[in-house]
Amino acid sequence: MSPERRTAWAFLAPSLVLIAIFRIAPLIWGAQLSLTDARGITPGAFIGLENYRELAFDPAFRDSISNTILLIATLPVWVCFPLLLAILIHQGVPGGRFYRATYFFPAILSSVIVGSIFNTLLRRDGAVNAALKLVGIAPTDWLGSSHTALLSLIAVQLWATFGMSLLIFLAGLSTVPQDMIEAARLDGARLRHLVWFIIIPALRPIIEFVAVVTTIGILTSMFGLIYVLTAGGPGTSTTLPEFLIWLELGKLNRPGYAAAISMVLFALMAGLAWAQIRIMQRNADV
Amino acid sequence: MSELSLTGVTKAFGGVQVIQGVDLSIEKGEFVVFVGPSGCGKSTLLRMIAGLETTSSGTIHIAGEDVTKAEPYDRHIAMVFQSYALYPHMTVAENMGFALRLQGVAAPERRALVTEAARILQIEPLLDRKPAHLSGGQRQRVAIGRAITRHPKVFLFDEPLSNLDAELRVQTRLEIARLHQALGATMIYVTHDQTEAMTLAHRIVVLRAGRIEQVGRPTDLYDDPDNLFVAGFIGSPKMNFLPVQASGPREITVAGQTLTLALSVPLPTGPLTLGLRPEHLSGEGPQVTLVAEVVEQLGQTSYAHGKIDGTPVIAEVRGHRPQVGEAIPLTLNPSRALVFGADGQRLR
Ligand SMILES: Nc1ncnc2c1ncn2[C@@H]1O[C@H](COP(=O)(O)OP(=O)(O)O)[C@@H](O)[C@H]1O
Ligand SMILES: [Mg+2]
Repeated sequence: MSPERRTAWAFLAPSLVLIAIFRIAPLIWGAQLSLTDARGITPGAFIGLENYRELAFDPAFRDSISNTILLIATLPVWVCFPLLLAILIHQGVPGGRFYRATYFFPAILSSVIVGSIFNTLLRRDGAVNAALKLVGIAPTDWLGSSHTALLSLIAVQLWATFGMSLLIFLAGLSTVPQDMIEAARLDGARLRHLVWFIIIPALRPIIEFVAVVTTIGILTSMFGLIYVLTAGGPGTSTTLPEFLIWLELGKLNRPGYAAAISMVLFALMAGLAWAQIRIMQRNADV
Repeated sequence: MSELSLTGVTKAFGGVQVIQGVDLSIEKGEFVVFVGPSGCGKSTLLRMIAGLETTSSGTIHIAGEDVTKAEPYDRHIAMVFQSYALYPHMTVAENMGFALRLQGVAAPERRALVTEAARILQIEPLLDRKPAHLSGGQRQRVAIGRAITRHPKVFLFDEPLSNLDAELRVQTRLEIARLHQALGATMIYVTHDQTEAMTLAHRIVVLRAGRIEQVGRPTDLYDDPDNLFVAGFIGSPKMNFLPVQASGPREITVAGQTLTLALSVPLPTGPLTLGLRPEHLSGEGPQVTLVAEVVEQLGQTSYAHGKIDGTPVIAEVRGHRPQVGEAIPLTLNPSRALVFGADGQRLR
C-alpha cells in the first residue's frame, strides 16, 4: 500500500468505524429484531416474516403510509416556496435582509417550542380562528378535525423549516453569474422569464439537493411536532410511520413489530433517496 | 439625428462620482471606441447605455427616443460581454435564438434567423453544441452571434477580446471590423487597449476618471492630441515627454538646443512639456545624441531606450540596427513637436 493510500485510510478509518458501530450494526440488529416477536425486554422467538404480514393488515400502518404519501405529495411546495422567496430576496426587494433573518428564525427553535406556539394559535379559541372570524370565516378545529389536522401539521413544519432551504437557495443564487442574468435582461427576459429559463436551470443541482434533504427531513423529523400537537390523532389522521414506531415500541412495548415498521420506513427512504440521486447524476453532465 | 446621444450623463455609486458629465453623440453606422485606463468608467458608461445601470443625472437618447429610464429590453441594443455570458444549459442555437424566443418568434423562423447569423460567423457546425464544449474563441463568436441574431439598433462590446490569446485577438478584431462593414450597424466598443481602439474605430472617445478627454478620429488623436493624457495614451511606444522652458514667445530650449515652433499664440513663461513621438525623431531640425541603454529589436524596426538631459527617451531607429552603447543621432523636428502647458493642455 502506498504511503498516500495509507494516509487516506488513516483519515477515513475513524468515521468508517463510527458508521459501522452506530449505523450499520443497529441496522442489522434491527433487521434481526423485526423477524422476532420480542415484547418488552424479553428477546422474542424467531417468527419469520410474521411481523411484516401483520403490518400489511394493520389499519394504523396503512393510514400512516397513506399519510406519508400525502406528505410527500406536498414536496413541490416545500421546494418552490423557499425558492420563490429566495429569488425575490436575491432580486433585492426592499427589506430583503430582514426577511432573510425572520424566515430563518424558526429553524433554530426546537419542535417542542414550535408545537407549543401553534397549539395556542390553532386552538378552537386561538388567534388563527379569531383572525378568521374578523373576515367572517367560521372557526375550524384545525388540529382536532381529521380533515385539517395533517395539513395543519404540514403547514406548521413548513413554516418552521423553510428558512433553511431559503438560505441554501440564496447561497446558490449568489453563484449564478450576474453577467448571464444581465445578458438575459438585454435579450428581453422579464422576471418570470429569468426565473424560468435562466435561474431555475442554473440552480438545478441545488434544487435537487434541497429536494433530497427535505424528503428525508419530512420523513424523519416530524416526530416532535406530532407529539406536541396531535399525538397522531385524531384517530390515525396524523400518524406517520415514525410516530407509529414510537407508539409500538414505547407504548405498546412491541420492539419486534416496531423494528419491522422501521425496516419498511428505511426501505422507503432508501428507495426515494436512490431515485433522487439517480436523477441528480443524470443531470450532472448538463 | 444621431443614433445615440448622451447629454450631461453622470453616475454616482454611493457618494463616489464615477461618470462626471458626459456629452456625446454617435451617428448611425458609426464604430465608436471608448478607451481609457482601467477604472476610468468605460464599462459603467456602456452599462448605462445598455440600461444595466441607472443614470444619476443627464439623459440618454437612442434613435431620438429618450431611454434614460427605459428597461434594457426596450432599448433595442445588444451587448457582448467580456465573459461571453452564454447560457450554459442551452445549445448554441438556443443561446442565439433566446431573444427571438422571448419575442414569440416561431421555432422554424427562429432557426432560420439563427442559421443566417451562424453563417456570417462561420459557426454553423457548432449550433447544436453546449457552450461547455466550445473553445474560448468559439464562445466569443457565439456571443457575437447572439447579438447579431437580434438585429439591434446599437451593438455594445465590453472588452470582448481580453480573454483571447494574442493571435486570436488580432484575428477576431479583424472579424469585428469586417462584421461592422457587412452589417453597417452602430457599434460601441470598450477597450483599455489603444491598439484595438486605433485599428477598429471611426471615432475614439478617450476617457479618464469619468470624463471625456478627447473625441476624434484615430489619426486626429495621434497627430493632434488636445492634452498630455491623450498624447501619452494614444500611440505605442508612448510619446516622449521632455520638460522644457520657453526661451521666447515661439521658442523653447531643450538639451542645449533651441527649437522654433509654429504656434498661433505666444508661449507662457514657466515649465512646459515638449512631446515628440519615438517615430518622429528625424527630419529637419537641431540634432541631439542618444546613447542606447537598451535596444528592442522588432525586425523591421528597433526601439532604442536612453536619456536626453536625464529624461528617459525612446527612439525608433530604421535603416540600421543599433547596438547597446551606440550613440544615435536624433533630430528634434520642430514640425513634429507638440507643446503642453503646465496644466497639461496643448498649446497650439
Ligand atoms: N457597482 C459598483 N459599485 C461601486 N463602484 C463601482 C461599481 N462599478 C464600478 N465601480 C467603480 O467605478 C469606477 C469605474 O469602473 P468601470 O466602469 O468598471 O471601469 P473600466 O471599465 O473603465 O475599467 C471604478 O472606480 C469602479 O471601482
Ligand atoms: Mg471595464
